[in-house]
Amino acid sequence: MSRRKRDLELQQELEAHLRMAVRDRMERGQTREEAHSAALAEFGNTLLVKEVTRDMWGWASLERLVQDCRYGIRLLRKNLGFTAVVVLTLALGIGANTAMYSVIQAALTPLAIPEADRVVVVWTENAKRDWHQFPASAPDYIDWKASGVFSSLGAMADAGFNLRLGDHTDRVNGLRVTSEFFTALAVPPRIGRVFQAEDLLPGHSQVAILTDALWHSRFNADPSVIGSSIVLDGRPHTVIGVLPKTFPTVGHEEMYAPFLFTADMAASRGSRSFQVVGRLREGVTLAAAQQRMSELERRLGTQYTDDTGDSVALQPMEDALGQDGRQLMVILFGAVGFVLLIACANIANLLLARGTSRRKEMALRVALGVGRWRLCRQLLTESLLLALLGGAVAIGPSLGAIRFITSFHLDELRNADLIALNPRVLVFNLALSFATGILFGLAPAWQAWKIDVSGAVKDASRSNTSGGNQRLRGLFVIGEVALTLILLVGAGLMLRSFEQQRSALPGYESHNVLTVRVALSEQQYAVPEKQIAFYERVTRAAQSLPGVVSASAVDELPASDNLHGTALRFPDRPDPRTEDLKLVLRNSVASGYFATMHIPLVRGRYLDETDTATSAPVAVIDEWTAKQNWPSQDVVGRSLKLGKNLPPRRIVGVVGNVDQGILVKLLKGQVGQVYLPLTQGPVPAMTLVLRTKVDPVALIPTIRKLVRGVDIDQPIFQVRTLDDMRSAGQASQRLVTSLLSSFAGVALLLAAIGIYGVIAFSVGQRTREFGIRMSLGARRLDVMNLVVGKGLLLAGAGIAVGLAGAYALTRLLSSLLYGVNPTDRVTFAAVTTLLAAVAIAASFMPAWRATRVDPVIALRCD
Amino acid sequence: MNAKDRYQNRIELLQGTLDMLILKTLQWGSQHGYGIIQAIRTGSSDVLQVETGSLYPALHRLERQGWLTAEWKQTESNQRAKYYRLTPSGKKQLASEQARWTQLSSAIGQIMGPQGELS
Repeated sequence: MSRRKRDLELQQELEAHLRMAVRDRMERGQTREEAHSAALAEFGNTLLVKEVTRDMWGWASLERLVQDCRYGIRLLRKNLGFTAVVVLTLALGIGANTAMYSVIQAALTPLAIPEADRVVVVWTENAKRDWHQFPASAPDYIDWKASGVFSSLGAMADAGFNLRLGDHTDRVNGLRVTSEFFTALAVPPRIGRVFQAEDLLPGHSQVAILTDALWHSRFNADPSVIGSSIVLDGRPHTVIGVLPKTFPTVGHEEMYAPFLFTADMAASRGSRSFQVVGRLREGVTLAAAQQRMSELERRLGTQYTDDTGDSVALQPMEDALGQDGRQLMVILFGAVGFVLLIACANIANLLLARGTSRRKEMALRVALGVGRWRLCRQLLTESLLLALLGGAVAIGPSLGAIRFITSFHLDELRNADLIALNPRVLVFNLALSFATGILFGLAPAWQAWKIDVSGAVKDASRSNTSGGNQRLRGLFVIGEVALTLILLVGAGLMLRSFEQQRSALPGYESHNVLTVRVALSEQQYAVPEKQIAFYERVTRAAQSLPGVVSASAVDELPASDNLHGTALRFPDRPDPRTEDLKLVLRNSVASGYFATMHIPLVRGRYLDETDTATSAPVAVIDEWTAKQNWPSQDVVGRSLKLGKNLPPRRIVGVVGNVDQGILVKLLKGQVGQVYLPLTQGPVPAMTLVLRTKVDPVALIPTIRKLVRGVDIDQPIFQVRTLDDMRSAGQASQRLVTSLLSSFAGVALLLAAIGIYGVIAFSVGQRTREFGIRMSLGARRLDVMNLVVGKGLLLAGAGIAVGLAGAYALTRLLSSLLYGVNPTDRVTFAAVTTLLAAVAIAASFMPAWRATRVDPVIALRCD
Repeated sequence: MNAKDRYQNRIELLQGTLDMLILKTLQWGSQHGYGIIQAIRTGSSDVLQVETGSLYPALHRLERQGWLTAEWKQTESNQRAKYYRLTPSGKKQLASEQARWTQLSSAIGQIMGPQGELS
């Protein structure tokens, strides 16, 4: 039976009851009127009887939900402006959170390897030298393998390959790995096979394994590629396998080749050049493995006094791959969480204010017998409706935010291809909307619960009883201001850091410079003379290209994240203790490098063509190194050593300091720099630098053709202008800065609205009081001060709480900050001033209105 | 406490007893709500006055439990009214309530004793 029909029937049933009662009374001699009123009195409250009877129908709760929803929707439609403001605020807050969750769920997607928690990365550590998570050496690896802790232990090292297909050669990122690397991960290949022990024997190692991505992009996903021959670094290699799409990647590797131990590597415990990945033996826990490895390392430490790491750290591979992005995600998720909390506080405030104007309605309903619980539930339903609406609208902004975040192509964020609005993210969105609705709906529901019926009905227009609400609203504003301050401080610090970075002079002229990487195949260019000859030929040819001012080459550009540090020693001084050795960056440069980069000469001379492989060893140092090591003497003519057993080099010149990029700054503060002529420190992989008269990008095809003309097997890659190169290392800083700034902006706006709302409301409530004050002679300024003072009081409390919070939280940012302390006083002061100013501005409008109160009208207004 | 809570409390107080009284009243034939109130009142010599706010929820509840069914019929005075009637399971329920009540009242009677002993 339908609800409507049942209702009608109940109505008729009760009417019949009344009719019979009236008739009985009339039969007993009462008049119709008497009988009617007596029957009604006896019957009681018809509405109430109906309601309690309906309760017995069983499906009442669902029925009520529908009713509440209908009522809620009607109310939302009636106040379209209010609804729009709330829904949009929520859409921003929930949207930002949804987007961040999408990033996090992608990053936390478990590795597609069996028993992933048993696969660990093994690092060497040396607390004395402040080494953490250092790679391993071949002797380390051999000792660890014999420890019995691992069922298989593989080695891997970054590698790049020059892959030639047809008459086209490209640089492909890859890894050199031992066969145990694959047994440790225990992921079978998609097709073909993985490396076996024989593949690692000299003479048998011309084999390669492709990732699914490379197989698709270069080999058209053709299964017959197995067994076919490809040219890597100018030599034929046989493709033996293709890995599945889900195979975990460490970096951007697309190809795997065998890792071979050379005699040099096996001899040197101190040259740590590769990473070690292992699977724990069955029955060995991570803690037990860590303990056994630490013991082993202690034993080795007593055996080999030099060049040991003093401890070993096992880290689950899952952690190792995710650790770079973790902090970034904590910061961003914290920020979006704050924005949502601020939005909630604001909406709760709006609802409380509206609730106050609905007090009479609520009180009437309570008086008519609607239960408080029912009332609360209805208000919560309204809040939930708003939140769900907001959550649905949030899909739009979250898509935008996802696109924005992925556009930074952050290496720190794992599984970037999985960042999307998938069902899991949508479920999160729904759950978050629900939670949000309940969160901001609690305050208005509580307000309804506490409603004082007699007071409200008697005295609805002037609600003295809403003092509790005012206090609650004040608390919300304080919370909002505090969270806003934290976001503002975060954004301020990031902006300051950026300003510092931008205004820091790089020490060279980055405009109009094209940089191009070339990595010579070590098989084809085994002897240094050939490497030197190649770069001399290429730079000379590039120099004469039209549009090129000058051309040179360097092994690593300043601001590169690939650093070659060397301990600095002096032939005329005793060797310092190992841990006191000073680290300097060492660069090999072709002649003309300083002139091309516009790095100024301070003393002596630049390196030039006269510095050859056979001439006396020389070096150029930067000013900082000169000042640090020869504070009051002329440096030119003195000597330094870049290795214990290497010959001394005569310093022939001092050049200006060069900004070493954020990585060095963050790790070491500032380190010195030593430049060698390429001829005396040949390196197979170099970056060509071309200073141009024209737009450097226009020269890319020309330089590609030029290098190809010299050797078809040597591709150019990492083709970028020096300007781009400088900003590339700052992607995560840029992302955090732009997100934090926009979040802080939104938060500031919301806080301003919140303050305005509360102050305006209290001015409305105190109209009478202001009228009295002014009729007693208070000046406008006094009233103004009273109101603005209240705004400032709220803001001040919020600022105090926020400052404490910011002081505790900005530490999280420290690794992203450059040249700025996380508790930077200037930023804290500026942000405090800004917030206070906004608070004054937000309370100014209502204050001004308060002074316009006409005492006569105010006193009469009730 | 608001009006509705008061009603609900009274239903609870009377619940078991009121249900039993309704079932008993309907033992000899169908009756409408007003008639049930009157029957209980006259049957108890005007002591028990059942309120509508208790009666109708109880009737609807008993109907939902399957102990009563209802149909619209004409009264003697030619008015339409909703008549309730015991179902077979309602009769069984009445029998068990009756037995329980007899047991309960005699047990309470033993403890309280005849009124005369007090004086």
